[in-house]
Amino acid sequence: MPIPVKPDQSTITTCAYCGVGCGFKAETSGGQIVRMTPWKEGKANHGHSCVKGRFAFDYYRHPDRVRSPMIRVSIEDPWREVSWDEAFAHAAGELKRIQETYGSGSVGAVSSSRCTNEEIYLMQKFARVGLRNNNIDNCSRICHSPTQFGLSATLGAGAASQHFDSILRSDVILVVGANPTEGHPVFGSMMKRSVRRGANLLVIDPRRTETVDSPHCRASVHLALRPGTNVLVLDSIAHVVVTERLYDEAFVRARCDWDDFELWMSQVGDARYSPDVVGPEAGLEPDDIRELARRYAAGPNSTIYYGLGVTEHSQGSTGVMCLGNLAMACGMIGREGVGVNPLRGQGNVQGGSCLGSWPHMFTGYRFVTDAATRAVFENEWKIDLDGEPGLRLPNMFDAAVAGSFKGLYIQGEDPVQSDPNRHHVEAALRNMECVIVQDLYETETTKFAHVLLPGSSSLEKNGTFTNAERRVSMVRKIVEPVAGLEDWEITVGMINAMGYELKYDHPSEVLDEIARTSPAYSGMSFELIERVGSVQWPCNTAAPEGTEVLHTVTFPRGKGSFMLTEYVPTKERVDDRFPLLLTTGRILSQYNAGTQTRRTANNAWYDDDVLDISADDAAQRGLRNGDRVRVASRYGETELSITVSGRVHPGVVYTTFHFAHTMVNAVTSDLNDWATNCPEYKVTAVEVTKVTKVGKVTKVTS
Amino acid sequence: MWSELRALRDGIDLGTPPRDGEPVTLSVDGIPVTVAAGSSVLLAAGIAGCTVPKLCASDTLEAFGSCRVCLVEIEGRRGYPASCTTPVDEGMQVRTTSDMLAKLRRGVIELYLSDFPEGDIDGGWSQLNTTLDQVGVHRLADDHPYRSGANHQGGVLDMSNPYFVFDQAKCIVCSRCVRACEEIQGTFALTIDGRGFGSTVVAGQNESFLESDCVSCGACVQACPSDALIEKSLFPGGYERADSSQA
Amino acid sequence: MTVIDPARLVEMANQIGDFFAPYPEQRRIEGVRNHLRNYWDPRMRSDLLAYVANGNEGELASHVLAATRLLQTEADERSAYAGPPRVEH
Repeated sequence: MPIPVKPDQSTITTCAYCGVGCGFKAETSGGQIVRMTPWKEGKANHGHSCVKGRFAFDYYRHPDRVRSPMIRVSIEDPWREVSWDEAFAHAAGELKRIQETYGSGSVGAVSSSRCTNEEIYLMQKFARVGLRNNNIDNCSRICHSPTQFGLSATLGAGAASQHFDSILRSDVILVVGANPTEGHPVFGSMMKRSVRRGANLLVIDPRRTETVDSPHCRASVHLALRPGTNVLVLDSIAHVVVTERLYDEAFVRARCDWDDFELWMSQVGDARYSPDVVGPEAGLEPDDIRELARRYAAGPNSTIYYGLGVTEHSQGSTGVMCLGNLAMACGMIGREGVGVNPLRGQGNVQGGSCLGSWPHMFTGYRFVTDAATRAVFENEWKIDLDGEPGLRLPNMFDAAVAGSFKGLYIQGEDPVQSDPNRHHVEAALRNMECVIVQDLYETETTKFAHVLLPGSSSLEKNGTFTNAERRVSMVRKIVEPVAGLEDWEITVGMINAMGYELKYDHPSEVLDEIARTSPAYSGMSFELIERVGSVQWPCNTAAPEGTEVLHTVTFPRGKGSFMLTEYVPTKERVDDRFPLLLTTGRILSQYNAGTQTRRTANNAWYDDDVLDISADDAAQRGLRNGDRVRVASRYGETELSITVSGRVHPGVVYTTFHFAHTMVNAVTSDLNDWATNCPEYKVTAVEVTKVTKVGKVTKVTS
Repeated sequence: MWSELRALRDGIDLGTPPRDGEPVTLSVDGIPVTVAAGSSVLLAAGIAGCTVPKLCASDTLEAFGSCRVCLVEIEGRRGYPASCTTPVDEGMQVRTTSDMLAKLRRGVIELYLSDFPEGDIDGGWSQLNTTLDQVGVHRLADDHPYRSGANHQGGVLDMSNPYFVFDQAKCIVCSRCVRACEEIQGTFALTIDGRGFGSTVVAGQNESFLESDCVSCGACVQACPSDALIEKSLFPGGYERADSSQA
Repeated sequence: MTVIDPARLVEMANQIGDFFAPYPEQRRIEGVRNHLRNYWDPRMRSDLLAYVANGNEGELASHVLAATRLLQTEADERSAYAGPPRVEH
């Protein structure tokens, strides 16, 4: 039949994949989704899309979907299908038993960045009213938790200051440790549009990524620094700004703490941060550092976009502070075209940060130790709350290995594949007595679970997502959830089973509750979002339809704070045994752990993780394109095929992490950020050797 | 902050991007309309409620002027300019319908129909179908002179991309796909190879879509008015070419 | 029982200390203390304090040690308990 099927219904919703959060129209015919087309009025994407959101939606009806709740006594047993009520009663019964045996703090929960704002809010509520502790974390622990820490410390808010369109008003675009062309493609297109119109592109990244050099879009300065030297190089850029007096003194005096600024000036102004000293150590030309600094400071409108190449380091939070400091020093805050913007990876990881899915914070980035905030929630929830910070996910695993943590409710996360130090995570889960996983499919983590709750994809529920612009958009149900319950209904079931009576007729009531308890969301409601399309927080009486640009008049704490950012080299060092540095990243067609995209036709472009190695390093090791190699570090080893690539400098190798069998995280170190425990995925000393016999070699050096 | 992207509206395609400038007042078919300086006559006509048929124009892309369908008459100017590439002027008087315009548009559409699969017209719901409805011709008469001559009905059918096809038989070489890949996505994977009758859309260095630099963003599929680029998912039994054409 | 291996707690505490080291003396000690107070589970804090009290002070940087002393004083003085009902085990 040559005439295409004409959809009979079209529903606006938000993409399930990355932090751009494109608006889409889900078009159905006879109740089945026949295509997703980009929504022209989506304020994040303006009618554009990428391969994932546009085409890779079939995962929702893949045969691997978990269709029924299941439980088992031991992880060696086969799964037994049960009803929802039995699953809830069993899970809650186990958690309560564990708390009675080992203490209230021996159980915890983790929320998913693929779940809606309402669902994440309910997960942190589950921990606080159900478990009666603050052992709740979210996956931004392993990616952007340093953003929350570092930007809060400097600017006062751990979120992007601008909306994406603002880049069209930028004269200078500084991209640090991010590859928008691959990781945030629709935003990457916007960036390229701005560069074609004359914006100056500056990139700091060890690799010559697609962002650095693509048709009609080339960086005028590319600092291909040695992995691990972020803070050193950023401090050197600051050194140039300070010693050449390129800072915006009027802005700093008016908007920032001047004493902190002077303290900072004397730190970065010191000779040890001069480009002549830093250049050789970081593998850079000193004049390139100077040029980047001068161009950024000159503006007139300079904006910063950064990603996991900044945060996933042992000085991740410090690196973020460097960016905040730089923007404040040069007066690049508080209007269109400027700002500091983390490129949040997942569709709702910003939501996870905003909605209190932290062991130390409630919604709106307010500390659990703060009695006034606690009172707000005690009043709303009618229950006493724990006023001490709880355990972060990596510390939950540490505690499990030590024997004091025994139960975990995981919503939509796969720590065995995604978290560092796989052996440690597996040992931790094995030590637990009740692991509850709520997910779409069986994963590496469900192998260690005792309760499996079938999750719902974002096509199967109503709620909201918050993208990397702080933009809250609608997620609408297009088809019924496979196992009958939307994710928020599952968590409500768990809360009730723990003994706290709770009922919502619709997720909009959850957003109303968030609005009642969180000043930044006080004006937010489903009605408002439906009326105007999307709303960027803060949304309150001062900004009834949301706020596009932050920090236009004051910072949240009044003045901005310059934080000291001494360079502390990572403990991870190359030596004769491990002379190369491995760094990691994303590719366009696959998404994160690949659980969704690997179950679509996107495998046509990329059906395995591959190691990029420079021609020099390959030649020295007798390697040719396509060879299988063993990649070994002090922590473990794995096997990959290689591509000889001009994108990596000698001394650096690169791979992606989309395929479970690659087990890249068996190789990455267990070092992490000082402030947040965000893993240092980006710097691992490795050696690469040819595999002469075909076979799967993936073992972990304990 | 104003940006032409933010002024786009779902379900409405004004043909050329909105502009931000001083107001200019003109009349279209006697109806006064005020738009920003720099807007096209095509856009002004749309705002005034006067439908001008189009094919190669889209408000997500800069005007191109290749299809020759959106012709209008402008008082005091000779000829029949394309309204998409004509900027508005204060006091301009535009006519969107006349016998001559109808005849010219028919002529252009008949040329397109002479190289388009006849079996894909009836029941179709593409932008081309809408334009055919507006111009009032859907089929060449059996004895129409354009029925003889060369055509591209045996041309490329690229099914390499897992999600969409490129069927050259339905391509009207309006270049919207090429322009979308440049202006919207910024990958520059598509070009028009050759000239005149030999013009054809190619991906990369004349490779299949899958082998080329195409990143499968779908902007070309979104832009294509004639379903030459179209999602495979809209064909439950698999994509099939219609078996006959006008020629 | 200890929640986390003490060697790990010492490593984390010293890492925090590295960040605050460049600050003037009073600020660097308080910086470490505030971070531990706001970001560490209380059992992790008490495990660290217990480890230090057991004669392992030398493993901590001096300002980190001073911060733990401040925390110790607070813990001794604390009269109000802010958590949920304690469970005996």
